[in-house]
Amino acid sequence: MTGTEAPRPAIVVEHLSKRYGRMLALDDVSLSVGANDMFALLGPNGAGKTTLIHILCTILAPDGGSASVAGFDVKKQAVKARRNIGVVFQEPSLDDRLTAYENLNFHGLVYQVGGAERKQRITEMLELVELSDWRDKLVRTFSSGMKRRLEIARALLHNPRILFLDEPTVGLDAQSRERIWAYLDQLRRQRELCIVVTTHYIEEVENCDRVCIIDHGKILADGTPDALKAAHGSELVRVTPRDKAAAEAIRERYPDAKDGHGGTLVLAVDDVNFIDGFLASFGTRVSQVSLDRPSLESVFLSLTGRELRDKGADEQDRMRAAGRRAGRR
Amino acid sequence: MGLLGGIYAIWLREVKRALRDRGQLIGGVSRPLLWVLIMGIGLNPYFRGEVFGEVRFVVPYTYLQFIFPAIIVLNIMYTSVQSAVSVIWDREFGFLREVLVSPMPRWAILFGKILGGTTIAVMHGCLVLVLARFTDVPMAWSTVFEALGWMTLLAFGLTSFGVIIANRIRSFEGFGVFSNAVILPLYFTSSSVFPLDPALTRAQTLVVYPEWLVFLVEANPLTYAVDALRGVFLNFNQFDPALGPIIMTAMAVGFFLLALWDFRKA
Repeated sequence: MTGTEAPRPAIVVEHLSKRYGRMLALDDVSLSVGANDMFALLGPNGAGKTTLIHILCTILAPDGGSASVAGFDVKKQAVKARRNIGVVFQEPSLDDRLTAYENLNFHGLVYQVGGAERKQRITEMLELVELSDWRDKLVRTFSSGMKRRLEIARALLHNPRILFLDEPTVGLDAQSRERIWAYLDQLRRQRELCIVVTTHYIEEVENCDRVCIIDHGKILADGTPDALKAAHGSELVRVTPRDKAAAEAIRERYPDAKDGHGGTLVLAVDDVNFIDGFLASFGTRVSQVSLDRPSLESVFLSLTGRELRDKGADEQDRMRAAGRRAGRR
Repeated sequence: MGLLGGIYAIWLREVKRALRDRGQLIGGVSRPLLWVLIMGIGLNPYFRGEVFGEVRFVVPYTYLQFIFPAIIVLNIMYTSVQSAVSVIWDREFGFLREVLVSPMPRWAILFGKILGGTTIAVMHGCLVLVLARFTDVPMAWSTVFEALGWMTLLAFGLTSFGVIIANRIRSFEGFGVFSNAVILPLYFTSSSVFPLDPALTRAQTLVVYPEWLVFLVEANPLTYAVDALRGVFLNFNQFDPALGPIIMTAMAVGFFLLALWDFRKA
Protein backbone atom coordinates (compact mmCIF):
# COMPACT_ATOMS: atom_id res chain seq x y z
CA MET A 1 0.00 0.00 0.00
CA THR A 2 1.21 3.49 -0.75
CA GLY A 3 0.11 5.23 2.43
CA THR A 4 -1.73 7.87 0.41
CA GLU A 5 -4.92 5.88 0.86
CA ALA A 6 -7.79 8.29 1.37
CA PRO A 7 -10.14 7.47 4.24
CA ARG A 8 -12.97 6.76 1.79
CA PRO A 9 -11.95 4.57 -1.13
CA ALA A 10 -13.11 5.53 -4.62
CA ILE A 11 -14.05 2.01 -5.53
CA VAL A 12 -15.16 -0.85 -3.33
CA VAL A 13 -15.84 -4.25 -4.82
CA GLU A 14 -17.10 -7.10 -2.69
CA HIS A 15 -17.49 -10.73 -3.75
CA LEU A 16 -18.38 -9.78 -7.28
CA SER A 17 -19.23 -12.53 -9.73
CA LYS A 18 -20.44 -12.63 -13.30
CA ARG A 19 -21.19 -15.57 -15.51
CA TYR A 20 -21.61 -15.77 -19.28
CA GLY A 21 -23.39 -19.02 -19.95
CA ARG A 22 -21.14 -21.65 -18.45
CA MET A 23 -18.07 -19.44 -18.33
CA LEU A 24 -17.31 -17.70 -15.08
CA ALA A 25 -15.99 -14.30 -16.11
CA LEU A 26 -15.59 -12.99 -12.57
CA ASP A 27 -15.22 -15.32 -9.63
CA ASP A 28 -15.70 -13.77 -6.18
CA VAL A 29 -13.64 -10.64 -6.82
CA SER A 30 -13.07 -8.21 -3.95
CA LEU A 31 -10.90 -5.12 -4.00
CA SER A 32 -10.83 -1.47 -3.07
CA VAL A 33 -9.12 1.45 -4.76
CA GLY A 34 -8.11 4.71 -3.06
CA ALA A 35 -9.35 8.10 -4.24
CA ASN A 36 -5.98 9.13 -5.61
CA ASP A 37 -4.65 5.79 -6.81
CA MET A 38 -3.40 4.79 -10.19
CA PHE A 39 -4.67 1.25 -10.23
CA ALA A 40 -3.79 -1.26 -12.91
CA LEU A 41 -5.69 -4.42 -13.75
CA LEU A 42 -3.28 -6.73 -15.42
CA GLY A 43 -4.21 -9.95 -17.14
CA PRO A 44 -4.34 -11.75 -20.47
CA ASN A 45 -7.24 -11.40 -22.89
CA GLY A 46 -10.37 -12.97 -21.50
CA ALA A 47 -9.17 -12.70 -17.91
CA GLY A 48 -12.24 -10.72 -16.86
CA LYS A 49 -10.74 -7.23 -16.85
CA THR A 50 -13.24 -5.73 -19.24
CA THR A 51 -16.14 -7.45 -17.51
CA LEU A 52 -15.05 -5.89 -14.23
CA ILE A 53 -14.71 -2.45 -15.82
CA HIS A 54 -18.14 -2.74 -17.43
CA ILE A 55 -19.72 -3.61 -14.11
CA LEU A 56 -17.99 -0.67 -12.44
CA CYS A 57 -19.21 1.59 -15.26
CA THR A 58 -22.78 0.42 -14.52
CA ILE A 59 -23.43 -0.88 -18.02
CA LEU A 60 -23.30 -4.53 -17.03
CA ALA A 61 -25.15 -6.00 -14.08
CA PRO A 62 -23.21 -8.38 -11.85
CA ASP A 63 -24.72 -11.78 -10.96
CA GLY A 64 -23.59 -11.62 -7.37
CA GLY A 65 -21.78 -9.42 -4.89
CA SER A 66 -21.73 -5.65 -4.79
CA ALA A 67 -19.68 -2.78 -6.14
CA SER A 68 -19.68 0.94 -5.47
CA VAL A 69 -17.91 3.74 -7.27
CA ALA A 70 -17.48 7.19 -5.70
CA GLY A 71 -19.66 5.94 -2.87
CA PHE A 72 -22.62 4.98 -5.07
CA ASP A 73 -23.84 1.46 -5.60
CA VAL A 74 -23.52 0.53 -9.28
CA LYS A 75 -26.86 -1.23 -9.30
CA LYS A 76 -29.08 0.95 -7.13
CA GLN A 77 -27.55 4.38 -7.74
CA ALA A 78 -26.30 3.93 -11.28
CA VAL A 79 -27.07 7.47 -12.45
CA LYS A 80 -25.25 9.09 -9.53
CA ALA A 81 -22.32 6.77 -10.04
CA ARG A 82 -22.19 7.67 -13.75
CA ARG A 83 -21.84 11.37 -13.03
CA ASN A 84 -18.62 10.65 -11.18
CA ILE A 85 -16.89 8.44 -13.67
CA GLY A 86 -15.21 8.99 -17.01
CA VAL A 87 -14.75 6.01 -19.27
CA VAL A 88 -12.51 5.23 -22.20
CA PHE A 89 -13.70 1.96 -23.66
CA GLN A 90 -11.55 -0.57 -25.39
CA GLU A 91 -13.30 -0.02 -28.71
CA PRO A 92 -13.33 3.55 -29.97
CA SER A 93 -16.66 5.22 -29.22
CA LEU A 94 -16.34 8.59 -30.92
CA ASP A 95 -18.70 9.74 -33.62
CA ASP A 96 -16.30 10.11 -36.51
CA ARG A 97 -18.71 12.15 -38.59
CA LEU A 98 -18.56 14.89 -36.01
CA THR A 99 -15.63 17.20 -35.32
CA ALA A 100 -13.49 16.97 -32.18
CA TYR A 101 -15.32 19.95 -30.75
CA GLU A 102 -18.74 18.52 -31.57
CA ASN A 103 -17.88 15.23 -29.89
CA LEU A 104 -16.78 17.03 -26.74
CA ASN A 105 -19.75 19.39 -26.81
CA PHE A 106 -22.09 16.43 -27.14
CA HIS A 107 -20.50 14.84 -24.11
CA GLY A 108 -20.71 18.07 -22.11
CA LEU A 109 -24.41 18.47 -22.89
CA VAL A 110 -25.23 14.88 -22.09
CA TYR A 111 -23.35 15.14 -18.78
CA GLN A 112 -25.12 18.44 -18.10
CA VAL A 113 -22.04 20.63 -17.88
CA GLY A 114 -23.27 24.27 -18.01
CA GLY A 115 -22.68 26.50 -21.05
CA ALA A 116 -19.71 28.71 -20.11
CA GLU A 117 -18.02 25.98 -18.09
CA ARG A 118 -18.49 23.54 -20.95
CA LYS A 119 -16.72 25.79 -23.44
CA GLN A 120 -13.87 26.39 -21.04
CA ARG A 121 -13.46 22.70 -20.21
CA ILE A 122 -13.45 21.78 -23.89
CA THR A 123 -10.64 24.24 -24.55
CA GLU A 124 -8.68 22.99 -21.54
CA MET A 125 -9.08 19.33 -22.38
CA LEU A 126 -8.13 19.81 -26.04
CA GLU A 127 -5.02 21.57 -24.82
CA LEU A 128 -4.19 18.76 -22.41
CA VAL A 129 -4.21 16.17 -25.18
CA GLU A 130 -2.59 18.55 -27.69
CA LEU A 131 -5.48 18.57 -30.12
CA SER A 132 -6.39 22.27 -30.01
CA ASP A 133 -5.41 22.68 -33.64
CA TRP A 134 -7.72 19.85 -34.63
CA ARG A 135 -10.75 21.23 -32.85
CA ASP A 136 -12.91 21.67 -35.94
CA LYS A 137 -11.68 18.70 -37.97
CA LEU A 138 -13.86 15.66 -38.51
CA VAL A 139 -12.79 12.77 -36.28
CA ARG A 140 -12.74 10.38 -39.23
CA THR A 141 -9.57 12.15 -40.41
CA PHE A 142 -7.78 11.41 -37.10
CA SER A 143 -5.16 8.71 -36.55
CA SER A 144 -5.94 6.05 -33.94
CA GLY A 145 -3.59 7.73 -31.48
CA MET A 146 -5.37 11.04 -31.87
CA LYS A 147 -8.74 9.37 -31.45
CA ARG A 148 -7.59 7.81 -28.21
CA ARG A 149 -6.34 11.15 -26.93
CA LEU A 150 -9.63 12.76 -27.82
CA GLU A 151 -11.47 10.02 -25.98
CA ILE A 152 -9.39 10.70 -22.89
CA ALA A 153 -10.16 14.41 -23.18
CA ARG A 154 -13.82 13.55 -23.49
CA ALA A 155 -13.84 11.22 -20.50
CA LEU A 156 -12.38 13.98 -18.35
CA LEU A 157 -14.64 16.77 -19.60
CA HIS A 158 -17.20 16.52 -16.81
CA ASN A 159 -14.55 16.44 -14.08
CA PRO A 160 -15.04 12.85 -12.96
CA ARG A 161 -13.52 11.54 -9.75
CA ILE A 162 -12.68 8.23 -11.30
CA LEU A 163 -11.32 7.58 -14.76
CA PHE A 164 -11.62 4.11 -16.27
CA LEU A 165 -9.37 3.25 -19.16
CA ASP A 166 -9.89 -0.14 -20.77
CA GLU A 167 -6.78 -1.03 -22.74
CA PRO A 168 -6.14 2.61 -23.65
CA THR A 169 -2.94 1.95 -25.53
CA VAL A 170 -3.76 -1.20 -27.45
CA GLY A 171 -3.00 -0.90 -31.14
CA LEU A 172 -1.11 2.36 -30.74
CA ASP A 173 2.47 3.04 -31.71
CA ALA A 174 5.08 3.48 -29.00
CA GLN A 175 5.08 7.26 -29.25
CA SER A 176 1.32 7.58 -28.82
CA ARG A 177 1.41 5.18 -25.91
CA GLU A 178 4.05 7.23 -24.17
CA ARG A 179 2.09 10.42 -24.70
CA ILE A 180 -1.05 8.96 -23.21
CA TRP A 181 0.79 7.94 -20.07
CA ALA A 182 2.35 11.39 -19.88
CA TYR A 183 -1.10 13.04 -19.95
CA LEU A 184 -2.30 10.78 -17.20
CA ASP A 185 0.74 11.61 -15.05
CA GLN A 186 0.22 15.30 -15.66
CA LEU A 187 -3.43 15.05 -14.65
CA ARG A 188 -2.68 13.29 -11.42
CA ARG A 189 -0.25 16.00 -10.44
CA GLN A 190 -2.95 18.63 -10.95
CA ARG A 191 -5.83 17.14 -9.03
CA GLU A 192 -7.08 14.20 -7.06
CA LEU A 193 -8.11 11.54 -9.53
CA CYS A 194 -8.50 7.83 -9.26
CA ILE A 195 -7.41 6.09 -12.43
CA VAL A 196 -8.25 2.49 -13.15
CA VAL A 197 -6.49 1.11 -16.17
CA THR A 198 -6.50 -2.34 -17.73
CA THR A 199 -3.69 -3.41 -19.94
CA HIS A 200 -1.76 -6.37 -21.05
CA TYR A 201 1.38 -4.35 -21.68
CA ILE A 202 3.31 -5.19 -18.56
CA GLU A 203 5.88 -2.42 -18.89
CA GLU A 204 3.08 0.12 -18.68
CA VAL A 205 2.03 -0.78 -15.18
CA GLU A 206 5.44 -0.42 -13.56
CA ASN A 207 4.68 3.15 -12.50
CA CYS A 208 1.18 2.49 -11.23
CA ASP A 209 0.54 2.73 -7.49
CA ARG A 210 -1.11 -0.63 -7.36
CA VAL A 211 -1.30 -3.59 -9.62
CA CYS A 212 -3.91 -6.27 -9.49
CA ILE A 213 -3.19 -9.42 -11.43
CA ILE A 214 -6.29 -11.16 -12.65
CA ASP A 215 -6.74 -14.36 -14.60
CA HIS A 216 -9.73 -16.61 -15.25
CA GLY A 217 -11.89 -14.12 -13.33
CA LYS A 218 -9.89 -14.43 -10.14
CA ILE A 219 -7.56 -12.00 -8.42
CA LEU A 220 -4.19 -13.68 -8.10
CA ALA A 221 -2.26 -10.85 -6.46
CA ASP A 222 -2.82 -7.24 -5.49
CA GLY A 223 -0.18 -4.76 -4.31
CA THR A 224 2.41 -2.19 -5.32
CA PRO A 225 4.66 -3.27 -8.17
CA ASP A 226 7.60 -3.52 -5.72
CA ALA A 227 5.65 -5.56 -3.22
CA LEU A 228 4.52 -7.94 -5.94
CA LYS A 229 8.06 -8.37 -7.21
CA ALA A 230 9.33 -9.02 -3.72
CA ALA A 231 6.61 -11.54 -2.96
CA HIS A 232 6.26 -13.43 -6.22
CA GLY A 233 9.11 -12.43 -8.45
CA SER A 234 12.26 -14.40 -8.86
CA GLU A 235 15.22 -14.16 -11.11
CA LEU A 236 14.55 -16.11 -14.22
CA VAL A 237 16.77 -17.68 -16.78
CA ARG A 238 15.41 -17.79 -20.29
CA VAL A 239 17.06 -20.38 -22.50
CA THR A 240 16.58 -21.36 -26.13
CA PRO A 241 17.28 -25.08 -26.61
CA ARG A 242 19.02 -26.01 -29.87
CA ASP A 243 16.63 -28.84 -30.63
CA LYS A 244 13.73 -30.91 -29.30
CA ALA A 245 15.99 -33.39 -27.59
CA ALA A 246 17.76 -30.64 -25.69
CA ALA A 247 14.41 -29.20 -24.62
CA GLU A 248 13.33 -32.64 -23.40
CA ALA A 249 16.55 -33.09 -21.46
CA ILE A 250 16.20 -29.70 -19.80
CA ARG A 251 12.62 -30.42 -18.87
CA GLU A 252 13.63 -33.70 -17.35
CA ARG A 253 16.27 -32.08 -15.18
CA TYR A 254 14.14 -29.05 -14.27
CA PRO A 255 10.53 -30.21 -14.07
CA ASP A 256 9.48 -26.68 -13.04
CA ALA A 257 10.54 -25.23 -16.39
CA LYS A 258 7.81 -23.15 -17.98
CA ASP A 259 7.18 -22.42 -21.65
CA GLY A 260 8.14 -18.95 -22.76
CA HIS A 261 7.35 -17.43 -26.12
CA GLY A 262 9.20 -18.44 -29.24
CA GLY A 263 10.11 -21.93 -28.05
CA THR A 264 12.09 -20.73 -25.06
CA LEU A 265 12.08 -22.34 -21.65
CA VAL A 266 11.98 -20.26 -18.51
CA LEU A 267 13.65 -21.53 -15.36
CA ALA A 268 13.45 -20.02 -11.90
CA VAL A 269 16.82 -19.21 -10.33
CA ASP A 270 16.74 -20.75 -6.89
CA ASP A 271 20.33 -20.36 -5.74
CA VAL A 272 23.50 -18.50 -6.66
CA ASN A 273 25.14 -21.48 -8.32
CA PHE A 274 22.16 -22.18 -10.54
CA ILE A 275 23.60 -20.67 -13.71
CA ASP A 276 26.94 -22.38 -13.34
CA GLY A 277 25.22 -25.70 -12.82
CA PHE A 278 22.97 -25.20 -15.78
CA LEU A 279 25.72 -24.16 -18.14
CA ALA A 280 27.92 -27.04 -17.08
CA SER A 281 25.25 -29.54 -18.08
CA PHE A 282 23.54 -27.84 -21.00
CA GLY A 283 25.93 -25.11 -22.15
CA THR A 284 26.47 -26.76 -25.52
CA ARG A 285 22.86 -27.63 -26.13
CA VAL A 286 21.30 -24.16 -25.92
CA SER A 287 21.69 -21.35 -28.42
CA GLN A 288 20.83 -18.51 -26.09
CA VAL A 289 20.71 -17.84 -22.38
CA SER A 290 19.45 -14.66 -20.80
CA LEU A 291 18.80 -13.56 -17.27
CA ASP A 292 15.63 -11.71 -16.26
CA ARG A 293 15.72 -9.49 -13.19
CA PRO A 294 12.57 -9.73 -11.09
CA SER A 295 9.92 -7.89 -13.07
CA LEU A 296 6.18 -7.91 -13.16
CA GLU A 297 6.55 -10.20 -16.11
CA SER A 298 8.18 -12.79 -13.91
CA VAL A 299 5.59 -12.18 -11.21
CA PHE A 300 2.91 -12.86 -13.76
CA LEU A 301 4.66 -15.95 -14.99
CA SER A 302 5.06 -17.41 -11.56
CA LEU A 303 1.44 -16.69 -10.64
CA THR A 304 -0.27 -17.89 -13.79
CA GLY A 305 2.25 -20.37 -15.10
CA ARG A 306 2.44 -18.63 -18.46
CA GLU A 307 3.59 -15.46 -20.04
CA LEU A 308 1.23 -12.59 -20.44
CA ARG A 309 1.53 -12.04 -24.15
CA ASP A 310 1.80 -15.67 -24.92
CA LYS A 311 -1.89 -16.24 -24.90
CA GLY A 312 -3.11 -15.71 -28.43
CA ALA A 313 -5.53 -12.93 -29.03
CA ASP A 314 -9.05 -14.21 -29.44
CA GLU A 315 -10.78 -13.82 -32.78
CA GLN A 316 -12.56 -10.57 -31.96
CA ASP A 317 -9.35 -9.03 -30.71
CA ARG A 318 -7.46 -9.90 -33.80
CA MET A 319 -10.17 -8.39 -35.97
CA ARG A 320 -10.13 -5.27 -33.88
CA ALA A 321 -6.39 -5.02 -34.15
CA ALA A 322 -6.58 -5.47 -37.88
CA GLY A 323 -9.10 -2.68 -38.08
CA ARG A 324 -6.71 -0.33 -36.41
CA ARG A 325 -3.79 1.25 -38.04
CA ALA A 326 -0.64 1.48 -35.99
CA GLY A 327 1.56 -1.54 -35.56
CA ARG A 328 1.56 -3.75 -32.54
CA ARG A 329 4.31 -6.11 -33.51
CA MET B 1 -30.43 22.80 -19.51
CA GLY B 2 -30.19 19.56 -17.68
CA LEU B 3 -32.09 16.77 -19.31
CA LEU B 4 -33.32 18.99 -22.14
CA GLY B 5 -29.70 19.82 -22.96
CA GLY B 6 -28.94 16.12 -23.27
CA ILE B 7 -31.94 15.47 -25.50
CA TYR B 8 -30.91 18.49 -27.57
CA ALA B 9 -27.37 17.08 -27.91
CA ILE B 10 -28.64 13.73 -29.17
CA TRP B 11 -31.10 15.44 -31.52
CA LEU B 12 -28.41 17.78 -32.83
CA ARG B 13 -26.05 14.91 -33.51
CA GLU B 14 -28.69 13.05 -35.52
CA VAL B 15 -29.49 16.11 -37.59
CA LYS B 16 -25.83 16.99 -38.22
CA ARG B 17 -24.97 13.46 -39.23
CA ALA B 18 -27.90 13.24 -41.60
CA LEU B 19 -27.11 16.58 -43.21
CA ARG B 20 -23.52 15.45 -43.74
CA ASP B 21 -24.63 12.15 -45.28
CA ARG B 22 -24.64 12.95 -48.95
CA GLY B 23 -26.13 9.60 -49.95
CA GLN B 24 -29.18 10.17 -47.82
CA LEU B 25 -29.67 13.66 -49.22
CA ILE B 26 -29.38 12.44 -52.79
CA GLY B 27 -32.04 9.83 -52.08
CA GLY B 28 -34.27 12.40 -50.45
CA VAL B 29 -34.09 14.67 -53.48
CA SER B 30 -34.10 12.13 -56.30
CA ARG B 31 -36.95 9.98 -54.99
CA PRO B 32 -39.66 12.67 -55.20
CA LEU B 33 -38.28 13.85 -58.55
CA LEU B 34 -38.54 10.35 -60.01
CA TRP B 35 -41.96 9.63 -58.57
CA VAL B 36 -43.49 12.97 -59.44
CA LEU B 37 -41.79 13.91 -62.69
CA ILE B 38 -41.38 10.50 -64.29
CA MET B 39 -43.92 8.10 -62.83
CA GLY B 40 -46.53 10.73 -61.98
CA ILE B 41 -46.41 12.68 -65.21
CA GLY B 42 -45.98 9.49 -67.22
CA LEU B 43 -49.06 7.73 -65.85
CA ASN B 44 -51.16 10.85 -65.54
CA PRO B 45 -53.03 10.52 -68.88
CA TYR B 46 -53.91 6.85 -68.28
CA PHE B 47 -55.43 7.31 -64.87
CA ARG B 48 -58.88 8.31 -66.07
CA GLY B 49 -60.43 5.14 -67.37
CA GLU B 50 -62.21 5.39 -70.68
CA VAL B 51 -64.90 2.74 -70.96
CA PHE B 52 -66.74 2.49 -74.27
CA GLY B 53 -66.07 6.11 -75.16
CA GLU B 54 -67.35 7.32 -71.83
CA VAL B 55 -64.77 8.91 -69.53
CA ARG B 56 -65.36 7.51 -66.11
CA PHE B 57 -63.31 9.01 -63.31
CA VAL B 58 -61.99 6.47 -60.87
CA VAL B 59 -61.27 9.23 -58.45
CA PRO B 60 -62.04 12.83 -59.20
CA TYR B 61 -58.37 13.80 -59.39
CA THR B 62 -55.41 13.47 -61.71
CA TYR B 63 -52.87 10.74 -61.03
CA LEU B 64 -50.28 13.35 -60.03
CA GLN B 65 -52.62 14.78 -57.47
CA PHE B 66 -53.53 11.32 -56.33
CA ILE B 67 -50.01 10.05 -55.68
CA PHE B 68 -48.57 13.34 -54.41
CA PRO B 69 -49.53 12.74 -50.76
CA ALA B 70 -48.27 9.16 -51.04
CA ILE B 71 -44.85 10.35 -52.23
CA ILE B 72 -44.60 12.50 -49.11
CA VAL B 73 -45.27 9.40 -47.05
CA LEU B 74 -42.70 7.46 -49.08
CA ASN B 75 -39.98 10.01 -48.53
CA ILE B 76 -40.77 10.24 -44.82
CA MET B 77 -40.75 6.48 -44.52
CA TYR B 78 -37.39 6.06 -46.24
CA THR B 79 -35.73 8.73 -44.14
CA SER B 80 -37.27 7.64 -40.86
CA VAL B 81 -36.19 4.07 -41.28
CA GLN B 82 -32.76 5.15 -42.49
CA SER B 83 -32.25 7.34 -39.42
CA ALA B 84 -33.44 4.59 -37.14
CA VAL B 85 -31.09 2.11 -38.73
CA SER B 86 -28.19 4.28 -37.55
CA VAL B 87 -28.90 2.65 -34.17
CA ILE B 88 -27.17 -0.38 -35.64
CA TRP B 89 -24.11 1.67 -36.58
CA ASP B 90 -24.01 3.26 -33.15
CA ARG B 91 -24.05 -0.20 -31.64
CA GLU B 92 -21.42 -1.64 -33.97
CA PHE B 93 -19.08 1.33 -33.78
CA GLY B 94 -19.29 1.78 -30.06
CA PHE B 95 -20.88 5.21 -29.88
CA LEU B 96 -23.90 3.75 -28.11
CA ARG B 97 -21.65 2.95 -25.14
CA GLU B 98 -20.68 6.58 -24.76
CA VAL B 99 -24.37 7.42 -24.36
CA LEU B 100 -25.31 4.43 -22.22
CA VAL B 101 -22.60 5.18 -19.66
CA SER B 102 -23.78 8.79 -19.36
CA PRO B 103 -26.24 9.93 -16.68
CA MET B 104 -28.99 10.36 -19.30
CA PRO B 105 -32.00 8.12 -18.67
CA ARG B 106 -32.73 5.61 -21.40
CA TRP B 107 -36.06 7.14 -22.40
CA ALA B 108 -34.40 10.52 -22.97
CA ILE B 109 -31.68 8.96 -25.13
CA LEU B 110 -34.27 7.19 -27.25
CA PHE B 111 -36.53 10.25 -27.40
CA GLY B 112 -33.68 12.49 -28.60
CA LYS B 113 -32.69 9.92 -31.19
CA ILE B 114 -36.21 9.49 -32.55
CA LEU B 115 -36.81 13.23 -32.49
CA GLY B 116 -33.67 13.69 -34.61
CA GLY B 117 -34.85 11.08 -37.11
CA THR B 118 -38.28 12.68 -37.16
CA THR B 119 -36.82 16.09 -37.94
CA ILE B 120 -34.83 14.79 -40.88
CA ALA B 121 -37.78 12.79 -42.17
CA VAL B 122 -40.08 15.81 -42.06
CA MET B 123 -37.42 17.83 -43.88
CA HIS B 124 -37.32 15.18 -46.58
CA GLY B 125 -41.10 15.25 -46.66
CA CYS B 126 -40.88 18.97 -47.31
CA LEU B 127 -38.65 18.29 -50.30
CA VAL B 128 -41.75 16.70 -51.85
CA LEU B 129 -43.91 19.68 -50.92
CA VAL B 130 -41.63 21.86 -53.01
CA LEU B 131 -42.80 19.92 -56.08
CA ALA B 132 -46.46 20.67 -55.39
CA ARG B 133 -46.71 23.17 -58.21
CA PHE B 134 -45.89 20.48 -60.80
CA THR B 135 -48.78 18.39 -59.55
CA ASP B 136 -51.64 20.90 -59.45
CA VAL B 137 -52.06 20.36 -55.76
CA PRO B 138 -53.33 23.58 -54.22
CA MET B 139 -51.01 24.68 -51.43
CA ALA B 140 -52.31 27.24 -48.98
CA TRP B 141 -50.23 27.99 -45.89
CA SER B 142 -52.92 26.57 -43.65
CA THR B 143 -52.75 23.33 -45.64
CA VAL B 144 -48.96 23.25 -45.29
CA PHE B 145 -49.10 23.69 -41.53
CA GLU B 146 -51.78 21.07 -41.09
CA ALA B 147 -49.81 18.69 -43.29
CA LEU B 148 -46.61 19.36 -41.33
CA GLY B 149 -48.38 18.38 -38.13
CA TRP B 150 -49.47 15.01 -39.50
CA MET B 151 -46.11 14.47 -41.22
CA THR B 152 -44.33 14.97 -37.90
CA LEU B 153 -46.64 12.56 -36.11
CA LEU B 154 -46.18 9.99 -38.88
CA ALA B 155 -42.40 10.45 -38.97
CA PHE B 156 -42.17 9.97 -35.20
CA GLY B 157 -44.11 6.72 -35.43
CA LEU B 158 -42.11 5.45 -38.39
CA THR B 159 -38.75 6.31 -36.81
CA SER B 160 -39.80 4.44 -33.67
CA PHE B 161 -40.83 1.56 -35.89
CA GLY B 162 -37.41 1.64 -37.54
CA VAL B 163 -35.69 1.56 -34.15
CA ILE B 164 -37.71 -1.50 -33.19
CA ILE B 165 -36.57 -3.33 -36.32
CA ALA B 166 -32.98 -2.15 -35.89
CA ASN B 167 -32.91 -3.43 -32.31
CA ARG B 168 -33.95 -6.88 -33.46
CA ILE B 169 -31.36 -7.15 -36.17
CA ARG B 170 -28.11 -8.80 -35.23
CA SER B 171 -26.30 -8.75 -38.51
CA PHE B 172 -26.54 -5.81 -40.81
CA GLU B 173 -26.35 -6.40 -44.54
CA GLY B 174 -26.95 -2.85 -45.65
CA PHE B 175 -29.88 -0.59 -46.11
CA GLY B 176 -31.07 -2.27 -49.32
CA VAL B 177 -32.58 -5.07 -47.26
CA PHE B 178 -34.76 -2.60 -45.40
CA SER B 179 -35.77 -0.90 -48.57
CA ASN B 180 -36.86 -4.13 -50.24
CA ALA B 181 -38.23 -6.01 -47.25
CA VAL B 182 -39.93 -3.27 -45.27
CA ILE B 183 -40.34 0.06 -46.98
CA LEU B 184 -41.48 -0.82 -50.49
CA PRO B 185 -43.98 -3.55 -49.50
CA LEU B 186 -45.57 -1.20 -46.97
CA TYR B 187 -45.61 1.59 -49.49
CA PHE B 188 -47.17 -0.33 -52.35
CA THR B 189 -49.92 -1.79 -50.19
CA SER B 190 -50.93 1.55 -48.73
CA SER B 191 -53.23 2.48 -51.62
CA SER B 192 -50.48 4.85 -52.59
CA VAL B 193 -50.17 4.11 -56.30
CA PHE B 194 -53.65 2.76 -57.02
CA PRO B 195 -56.98 3.69 -55.50
CA LEU B 196 -59.57 1.52 -53.90
CA ASP B 197 -62.43 3.42 -55.43
CA PRO B 198 -64.63 4.65 -52.58
CA ALA B 199 -67.60 4.96 -54.95
CA LEU B 200 -67.67 1.20 -55.31
CA THR B 201 -69.35 -1.01 -52.79
CA ARG B 202 -67.22 -3.58 -51.05
CA ALA B 203 -68.62 -6.30 -53.26
CA GLN B 204 -67.72 -4.29 -56.35
CA THR B 205 -64.22 -3.61 -55.02
CA LEU B 206 -63.68 -7.32 -54.58
CA VAL B 207 -64.68 -7.85 -58.18
CA VAL B 208 -62.09 -5.31 -59.35
CA TYR B 209 -59.28 -6.46 -57.07
CA PRO B 210 -58.41 -9.86 -55.57
CA GLU B 211 -59.50 -10.23 -51.99
CA TRP B 212 -55.97 -10.65 -50.58
CA LEU B 213 -54.87 -7.34 -52.03
CA VAL B 214 -57.84 -5.50 -50.61
CA PHE B 215 -57.11 -7.15 -47.28
CA LEU B 216 -53.44 -6.07 -47.38
CA VAL B 217 -54.35 -2.50 -48.19
CA GLU B 218 -56.93 -2.32 -45.46
CA ALA B 219 -54.65 -3.92 -42.89
CA ASN B 220 -51.72 -1.65 -43.64
CA PRO B 221 -51.68 1.25 -41.15
CA LEU B 222 -49.89 3.43 -43.69
CA THR B 223 -53.01 3.33 -45.88
CA TYR B 224 -54.68 5.57 -43.35
CA ALA B 225 -51.68 7.93 -43.11
CA VAL B 226 -51.70 8.36 -46.89
CA ASP B 227 -55.45 8.82 -46.73
CA ALA B 228 -55.14 11.49 -44.04
CA LEU B 229 -52.68 13.49 -46.15
CA ARG B 230 -54.98 13.15 -49.16
CA GLY B 231 -57.68 14.57 -46.97
CA VAL B 232 -55.49 17.55 -46.12
CA PHE B 233 -54.29 18.31 -49.65
CA LEU B 234 -57.18 17.20 -51.87
CA ASN B 235 -60.07 16.99 -49.47
CA PHE B 236 -60.45 13.44 -50.70
CA ASN B 237 -60.68 10.44 -48.40
CA GLN B 238 -61.07 6.84 -49.43
CA PHE B 239 -61.68 5.76 -45.86
CA ASP B 240 -63.27 7.21 -42.76
CA PRO B 241 -61.36 10.52 -42.22
CA ALA B 242 -61.25 9.92 -38.47
CA LEU B 243 -59.15 6.78 -38.92
CA GLY B 244 -55.99 8.54 -40.17
CA PRO B 245 -55.29 10.68 -37.08
CA ILE B 246 -56.23 7.86 -34.72
CA ILE B 247 -53.97 5.33 -36.40
CA MET B 248 -51.03 7.76 -36.74
CA THR B 249 -51.28 8.69 -33.07
CA ALA B 250 -51.53 5.05 -32.09
CA MET B 251 -48.43 4.26 -34.20
CA ALA B 252 -46.41 7.10 -32.67
CA VAL B 253 -47.27 6.19 -29.08
CA GLY B 254 -47.31 2.42 -29.51
CA PHE B 255 -44.08 2.12 -31.48
CA PHE B 256 -42.26 4.54 -29.16
CA LEU B 257 -43.26 2.54 -26.10
CA LEU B 258 -42.28 -0.72 -27.75
CA ALA B 259 -38.94 0.75 -28.84
CA LEU B 260 -38.37 1.99 -25.29
CA TRP B 261 -39.18 -1.42 -23.86
CA ASP B 262 -36.61 -2.98 -26.22
CA PHE B 263 -34.03 -0.32 -25.46
CA ARG B 264 -34.33 -0.73 -21.70
CA LYS B 265 -33.52 -4.41 -22.01
CA ALA B 266 -30.50 -3.81 -24.22
